[in-house]
Amino acid sequence: MKAQWRWFLTGVAAALAVLLLAVIFMAYQMPELLLDWANIRYCG
Amino acid sequence: MSTTNTTWRTPTVILVVGCVILTLSMGVRHTAGLFLQPMTADHGWSRETFSFAIAIQNLVWGLASPFAGALADRHGAGRTVLGAAVLYVVGLVLMSQAGSPLSFDLSAGVLIGLGLSGTTFAVIMGVIGRHTTPQKRSLALGIASAGGSFGQFAVLPVGQMLISTYGWQSALVLLACGVGLIAPLAYAMADGHKVVSGAGQSVAEALREAGGERSFHYLFWSFFVCGFQTAFIMLHLPSYLVDSGLTANVGMTAVALIGLFNIFGSFIFGWGGGRYSKKNLLVLIYALRAVAILIFMLLPMSTATAWIFAAVMGLLWLGTVPLTNGLVAQIFGLRYMSMLTGVVFLGHQLGSFLGAWLGGRIFDETGSYLLAWGLSIGLSVLAAICSWPIDEKPLARHAGATV
Repeated sequence: MKAQWRWFLTGVAAALAVLLLAVIFMAYQMPELLLDWANIRYCG
Repeated sequence: MSTTNTTWRTPTVILVVGCVILTLSMGVRHTAGLFLQPMTADHGWSRETFSFAIAIQNLVWGLASPFAGALADRHGAGRTVLGAAVLYVVGLVLMSQAGSPLSFDLSAGVLIGLGLSGTTFAVIMGVIGRHTTPQKRSLALGIASAGGSFGQFAVLPVGQMLISTYGWQSALVLLACGVGLIAPLAYAMADGHKVVSGAGQSVAEALREAGGERSFHYLFWSFFVCGFQTAFIMLHLPSYLVDSGLTANVGMTAVALIGLFNIFGSFIFGWGGGRYSKKNLLVLIYALRAVAILIFMLLPMSTATAWIFAAVMGLLWLGTVPLTNGLVAQIFGLRYMSMLTGVVFLGHQLGSFLGAWLGGRIFDETGSYLLAWGLSIGLSVLAAICSWPIDEKPLARHAGATV
């Protein structure tokens, strides 16, 4: 594989990974997760 | 990298599959707390009933880890992972049907605890460790830790979404299906009793040898502190923030920040362990944790300080895993790596149990978390001091051998 394609695909993969992490991070703002403190108190 | 017993079972394949197994196993386990509210409401159980089963799960996970590791070292990791995955799936399905506290303790506590012991760090790290060169081992263990960290971060909102959409019983069965994916993946973990240095040593001899080394005890107790701090902070930080006048949303974002930065921290410290002294990095992690907690206590509480503290602690969260497991492999060799990391992990779980329980107990007795935070700082300093004299040199028995 040519070097520029390798860099391009690596960049796309990194961007997708960042996007995925951002989406998951936003999912933590779900109101259901905040309904009861007990819901997160035992997740450790 | 070392050769494997089949051509397709390359170190890269083993690392990727190990990461997926850790993501599924650690991730599904992390959703346990989400079921507290709906299950206790439906069954009319107290929260203590639920949390008792989770406490059993944590202890069984820790107690069974050395045995799961020994099984993997002796009879192959593939069979161990497969058997543990079956126990995990059965535990989740029976948990969805549990009608009494006893059946709940046995399913959510014992079966899932046993399942976790064979599908998480001790066994998976052993396989990955055996298939990577010493130069790349720490990085590989760091990537695997990041996989487990990603699971903890990613599966929690998925679990909540499943509960909200399908109800808690169906959600448990669906999560069991997710864990079931580990079973076919276990085939890639079958490392064919890969022969490594120390092959002539028995389990008892390996345990006696490790027990006679001060460094092993230092690793055990520093990992105990790691468990204490992570369990205490994850369980009690949100409540502490609310008690300090912040909103529940800030607490939840802090939990998410710990999860997010944990992924990067696991990778960075794994990579660092391959370039710098592992025990020095452990000293750094524990010292930085003490400093971070101290600064957090001294600064006026605000949303910014809470989130910065969560991000810093996230970076320092599971970075201890590749370093501690890497040191076990480096000092004692690879033959019984799974069992010995299992023993060290038992220290982590005992610390977790104490951190979770003592945090609540101290709050109930004093009406504040201040003493628990102070204890956490003191233990962190002790862990840093404990890690400093660790002798990183391989034992003479396998010093010249290829691992």
